Amino acid sequence: MATDLRISNISKIYPGCIANDNVSLQFKSGKIYALLGENGAGKSTLVKILSGVVSPDNGEVFLNEKNLKLSSPLDAKKNKIGMVFQHFNLFETLSVFENLSIDATEDNESLRVRVNEILKKYNFSIDLDVPVLNLSAGQKQKVEIIRCLLRSPKVLIMDEPTSVLTEQETEELFISLKKFCDEGILIIYITHKLKEVLSLCDEVAVMRKGKVVSVSQTQNERVETLANKMVGQKLAKIKKKINISKNKDEIFKVKHLNFYSDDPFETNLVNLNFSVKKGECLGIAGISGNGQNELFQILSGEIITPDTSIIFRNKEIAKLNPKQRREYLMAFSPEDRISQAAVPELKIYENVALNNFKSSNFFEKGLVNEKKIKEHSKKILSDFSVNTDNVELKSQFLSGGNLQKLILGRELITAPELLICYNPTWGLDVGAINYIHETLIKINDQEKSTILISTDTEELLKLSDRIAVIYKGKLSKIMPSEEVTPEKLGVLMGGGSID
Amino acid sequence: MIKIEKRNDVPMALYFFTPFIAIILTILGGGIIFYILGFNPIEALKFYFITPISNLYGFSELLLKATPLCLIAIGLSFCFKSNNWNIGAEGQLTFGAIVGGGVALLFYNQEGFYILPLVIIAGAIGGMIFALIPAILKTYFNTNEILVSLMLVYVSKLLLDYLVVGPWSNPEGFNFPETRQFSDSSRMPLLFEGLRIHAGIFLALAAVMLSWFVLYKTYLGFQIKVSGLSLKTAKYAGFKGKTMILVVFMISGACAGLAGVGEITGPIGQLHRMISPDYGFTAIIVAFLGRLNPFGIIFASLVVALTYLGAETAQIFLQIPKYTGQVFQGMILFFLLASDYLLFFKVKILNLKKNELRH
Repeated sequence: MATDLRISNISKIYPGCIANDNVSLQFKSGKIYALLGENGAGKSTLVKILSGVVSPDNGEVFLNEKNLKLSSPLDAKKNKIGMVFQHFNLFETLSVFENLSIDATEDNESLRVRVNEILKKYNFSIDLDVPVLNLSAGQKQKVEIIRCLLRSPKVLIMDEPTSVLTEQETEELFISLKKFCDEGILIIYITHKLKEVLSLCDEVAVMRKGKVVSVSQTQNERVETLANKMVGQKLAKIKKKINISKNKDEIFKVKHLNFYSDDPFETNLVNLNFSVKKGECLGIAGISGNGQNELFQILSGEIITPDTSIIFRNKEIAKLNPKQRREYLMAFSPEDRISQAAVPELKIYENVALNNFKSSNFFEKGLVNEKKIKEHSKKILSDFSVNTDNVELKSQFLSGGNLQKLILGRELITAPELLICYNPTWGLDVGAINYIHETLIKINDQEKSTILISTDTEELLKLSDRIAVIYKGKLSKIMPSEEVTPEKLGVLMGGGSID
Repeated sequence: MIKIEKRNDVPMALYFFTPFIAIILTILGGGIIFYILGFNPIEALKFYFITPISNLYGFSELLLKATPLCLIAIGLSFCFKSNNWNIGAEGQLTFGAIVGGGVALLFYNQEGFYILPLVIIAGAIGGMIFALIPAILKTYFNTNEILVSLMLVYVSKLLLDYLVVGPWSNPEGFNFPETRQFSDSSRMPLLFEGLRIHAGIFLALAAVMLSWFVLYKTYLGFQIKVSGLSLKTAKYAGFKGKTMILVVFMISGACAGLAGVGEITGPIGQLHRMISPDYGFTAIIVAFLGRLNPFGIIFASLVVALTYLGAETAQIFLQIPKYTGQVFQGMILFFLLASDYLLFFKVKILNLKKNELRH
């Protein structure tokens, strides 16, 4: 029987952001559909609504013209909607079979028979009696898929399934998905990888800022056209005048940066080499999860990698921890401002004391100099127009914008020669974004350098002098930003290549 | 349907008030248990909580038991505040007592003002060394400090067992599992004639003041606080995480070692098998009941010490085993955790809509 899934006028508003804005889409079985978009485009929210994790504020979902009430993941299961999330929901210490039997409704013997049938039919080779922790990421994903198949789903939703897979595993996955599709299962494939859309899917819906901006047949699309739709025609550049002349000194130089991790959810970095000149802003673009986290932590000294060389102001600093690097006048603004850059339970002045550089005298002879820290905090609050003058306030009561101003203020008060920031305006309102952007431009005007790691292409084009793209832990060629177009960025971020 | 949500802002006053609620609930729970056992609950509770401290001797006994609990809990608060779960204070106490006791035995037939300080320092160092084992294994080999510190308790207890029946047993002791009596120069001075309360209480009070100073007024205290709230932030700020783990374990072990040495040079006066009625484990309850706050810990150690005394009185007057003390200690912890849960989370009862019932 054919399946017909219709999403009608779905809206979901979170405080300060419209995640889904009147989204309507139609899917029919026998095809593989791609849902494509940048970070924050609204894909995940839509998927969460379909799987019952989140309830929409408005709109309806119809399966074969039946109006579905999806108020919990259980409802989605009952209505034969299966979902494989990017992060697996498996008990690592239980065996594969035990994991499958947890929410099964039949006895173990008939379950085993059915599981074996599925294994045979799709040519999956998985030992049912080994603990899940011994499986590769690809095999774990197969266990999740089997769990869905046991319920004979009508709809199967895959959320960025290839982010943890090897090339070989990806190929196997595509073969399986095509088989499921032939058997009449409707497949919705969430991704931001352009090539996968073209090689696997029949139809593609592109989302941007919560809206569906285009629905088209993939055969009519190319990597470039999709990239353009995904990234959008960005606003005209308001870039400061390019103030970098060719003969300026290189202040920061990274050579042979490699990082290897056993954790499948971390990205390995492969031989990154780049340098930053005095007064320059180097932008690093990319869809999140392509190695930015790891790169930031290595640059800040939270992770020390062997054999990497980082030269800063003619000194080798690759072995120094973040506190020592600060003494050489580096500053860091991490992505997670709420629980990493600051501690919500601490008061403002205590959060300021986290940047305890030597000349600050915050801690004289190991003792807290509360007066000094508070004076210093007051100065930051007024210099960076944070919306309070009460240094005893716990930082959890600051809005995102004010918290980010406080953090930038704390980092910049030492007049650092290099600021490394990662998604500095993520989740902020327009006013705060403008303030932060102006601040970052001002830094460059004062002949200080910045490295801006960001997933926001608009921001990168506005602020950077040169831009590189990170994809799967590899860095593209570094391009002067006047040669970069949104389309080029989109292609590189989606794993394509340009000449 | 029931939904559990995190409360956004918990008032500080309530945070320090819930331990009292836990204590009241424990007394009520104890009354119910006594009633089920067939005793008059009011009278039994009087025997348990009032009789033991109704005279000066009883009060001195209360302080005597509170001293080691307070010392150990102060040490543990350094570990717990910085997210290091040292469960093995009992082992560190025992090892401190072994090292301190060993020094005391060296001087068993000598007199001198310098002996007691030597014994005390040796005990603190012993506890410190023993606490360093789980700390080093954690920092350099990624082991779990809960398991290692807990298992080391049994190692030190068996070592003590071996020493008191074997090499260190009293040659004139008719093969009893105990060492010689320490000389008077290795004993804590008594504070009052006829009472057992000894100078060790000043060690505990000094530890309270010192820990307050370190935790709230020094860079080390600041680092401990930040690491306890967010390890990610501590890393980002560039704190030396490994050094800090070693330091807090050393502080914690030294305090437990001091408690051990206080017991053997105080009321006991020699080494034998039963030098501690699980003070090291009970002090975990004390630390949390006192909210890891130095002054809260003083109060909590008095309350928990009372459950030890009450259990002994109850054994004499009501003929029930003194292990009821552990029942009370368990109840305090249980009610504290339960009221904390309700403090940090709110339970919402949602009305089911009709269409949801239809499935």
